[in-house]
Amino acid sequence: MKRRSFIKNTSLATGMALVPNFLKAFDDLVPNLNTHRNLVVIHLKGGNDGLNTIIPVNNDIYYNARPKIALKQKDTIRLNDDLGFNKNLMPLKKLYDQGYLSIINNVGYPNPSRSHFVSSDIWQTASDHSNILDSGWIGRYLDKYGKKPYNAIQINDDLDLALRGERRNGIATRNAKQLYRSLQESDFNTILSYYDHSHHDEHNLGYLYQTMIDAKSSAKYLYETALDSNLSDSYPKKSSLSNQLKVVGQFIKSGLDTNIYYTSLAGFDTHANQIGRQDKLLKNYAEAIEAFVKDLRKNNRFKNTLILTFSEFGRRVKQNHSNGTDHGAANNVFVIGENLKKSGLYNSLASLNDLDDNGDLKYEIDFRTVYATILSKWLDVDDRIVLNQDFEKLNFI
Amino acid sequence: MTYKEVQHLYWRAGFGLKPKELQYLASFSKEALVNDLFQKSKDIIPLQKDLSYLKAFPQERLKKDAELRQELARRNREETKVLNTIWFKRLEKTPRVLRERMTLFWANHFVCKDMTTAHILKYNTTLRTYALGNFRDFVKAISKEASMIRYLNLNQNNKNSPNENFARELLELFTLGEGNYLERDIKECARAFTGYRFKFNGDFWLFKKRHDYDAKQFFGKEGKFNGDDIIDIILEQKQCAQHICEKIYSYFVNTTVNKEHVREMVEVFYGEYDIEKLMRYIFNSDWFYNEENIGIKIKSPIDLIVGIQRMVPVYFTKNEELFRLQTLLDQFLLNPPNVAGWQGGKSWITTNSLMLRIKLPSMILEKESYSYQYKGNVKNLRIVSVKNKYQEKLTVYVDWKAYKKSVKKISLEMLKDTLILCEVNRGTANYIRRFGRRPSRKNLVNLMSLPEYQMC
Repeated sequence: MKRRSFIKNTSLATGMALVPNFLKAFDDLVPNLNTHRNLVVIHLKGGNDGLNTIIPVNNDIYYNARPKIALKQKDTIRLNDDLGFNKNLMPLKKLYDQGYLSIINNVGYPNPSRSHFVSSDIWQTASDHSNILDSGWIGRYLDKYGKKPYNAIQINDDLDLALRGERRNGIATRNAKQLYRSLQESDFNTILSYYDHSHHDEHNLGYLYQTMIDAKSSAKYLYETALDSNLSDSYPKKSSLSNQLKVVGQFIKSGLDTNIYYTSLAGFDTHANQIGRQDKLLKNYAEAIEAFVKDLRKNNRFKNTLILTFSEFGRRVKQNHSNGTDHGAANNVFVIGENLKKSGLYNSLASLNDLDDNGDLKYEIDFRTVYATILSKWLDVDDRIVLNQDFEKLNFI
Repeated sequence: MTYKEVQHLYWRAGFGLKPKELQYLASFSKEALVNDLFQKSKDIIPLQKDLSYLKAFPQERLKKDAELRQELARRNREETKVLNTIWFKRLEKTPRVLRERMTLFWANHFVCKDMTTAHILKYNTTLRTYALGNFRDFVKAISKEASMIRYLNLNQNNKNSPNENFARELLELFTLGEGNYLERDIKECARAFTGYRFKFNGDFWLFKKRHDYDAKQFFGKEGKFNGDDIIDIILEQKQCAQHICEKIYSYFVNTTVNKEHVREMVEVFYGEYDIEKLMRYIFNSDWFYNEENIGIKIKSPIDLIVGIQRMVPVYFTKNEELFRLQTLLDQFLLNPPNVAGWQGGKSWITTNSLMLRIKLPSMILEKESYSYQYKGNVKNLRIVSVKNKYQEKLTVYVDWKAYKKSVKKISLEMLKDTLILCEVNRGTANYIRRFGRRPSRKNLVNLMSLPEYQMC
């Protein structure tokens, strides 16, 4: 396909002719805990309604467009004269007050897709809508800068496109022990014990063997390196995101040589009876963040960690007939960390007077500039090689 | 023909052969084998799905009764899952393997998803009807299918407010390929397909009031084109034949496209757009059997499951289990991820999916327990809603008698040649040598558990 060759050409053009590093020896270096940096990505799946997350409390357009579901000023936590947090986001308000939260408004991309699938693909691959790439942005980070598949871990059984590279994939696991055990259950070990490394296949069969080798070494590494999760501080129970962040906390405290952790919280597709549903989800989100940050701070790891929260799109300004909202476009993004250069509101909310043809917020900040900023300023790599384009860097870090 | 060549042909044109079938067919010439494949696939037999439940949902009442509509939607979800199992059985049992393989291919080309069981059944029938027919008629028929009209929003495509969804995919995915048209072409194309609608029973009708009868400019031509005219103009572009041939080549031959081979294919295909003629040309060519094209494709989950079933008959006693396998392996028939379909190849593979794939033969054939976790909402087709992790064994029935019969007087070497098409890793070959000489159950499962068995 053309998309694939596009990536190849670009990587050649940038002088990164890719040498297949099949069967590279594993040197288990322990990362330096003081300089090692983590990025934790949280995808709010389904399209979170940003306008009921950070509420324009003095805006008549907002109240007129949402007669049934607009949040009243008294139901929000005041942020400044114009904006308020959803009342379920008290933990975020605290981070905001401490200067650990940066709210970037109106993030999106040109010619927005309103399909969950397409828009998620666009966010995960860091693509233009007109040319959606086959590989994820974190996958390409691994391709170009990763030494081990476990340099990027998704806390799930399934691996999102974001972590799938051209040559290398991240690791998906919910539990280091479980990964190790299911590997013991499988025939991997027997097969690999016979495998002849000198006789490797450059193509698909080699890819399968390489995946097995990666899985085996990663499972072993995680099993041996990760601390017991029971040692973690108390996280809210029965919350999917909180369970995932607990594992991330465990991994970070264990000093894993992992730079990117990927998590998600689903259910934000609130076409009907939005209020109760979104409240519950935001509460889950905020409480999970609170426990996670507390855990990290207690263990002196918060300073090395940056948390990025996004959703594949925002929702329409005007509510629909079912007391919900339909798919929209630009949305807010949260960046949480101790070392923010610009905390608080990074930029102001776009005008509700100037919507696009669908009645959605217009984007002001391309989401890839957020990625580019994090890649270059936080993970210290050349973002252009990962994103295939030179995006402007922002100054939130 | 060598065993390898025959098995290669049968894996790409079908779903593989058993050892004795392979031995038998290897005595024929290539031309005879190819002819036989087409001969056997002459008949077009739609999937047999009972739709009598629809009698309880008369159109007149549905119009007025919202609850009944919801009830029908719920019922349709169930019935579409049943249709999924019917298709699966067909894949496992049919002697018309080429038509089945082509139907799978086109289902992932003209990608469509719909929850109206009757319409998606009709759509599937159209796919198999034209699977080896004329591509021109095929595209025109697809553009008038109820499921497609709904899936790509043609029913919202009106003279005064055109919806470009279908027009864009028609050009980008179905015919010309990305970058071979202008945005203006999409707009003009969309105008020609305005007013496309379907009736309750799924038949096409043109809503004349919403159709744009004015002149359109498309690829240098001007006229009062309708949808069919537009398709004719698209097919005049050699790029259309080029795009389809490249896609067929990557699916049936090799994802690394050989430009010269594709050029030959385009010469055969362009103009007439006869799919059967094109496929005959490929399977009869020498290059199709080149070493570099054999055993290099990663099996799709469907290939993997059906391939096992065709070696040893397996009966899923619980449909839910078949659904769960499809979900866990990321290919649920009738539920493609998006309009671009399954990407195939390496995208099937993750650490977890590979562990499952390697374990699949022992799960199915030896009923080894397996762990799984519910993977969340599978769009539209709501699958088993199990919340926590389960340790489970499949409850399948395995017909070992049939297997025993099929490997009577067959050596392990022959079984290996039947199951594995690619070059075996040297170390793994040593491992196989320890298996002994009998095609026992255990050895069958061990062979199927090799990464090499993932290839076809």
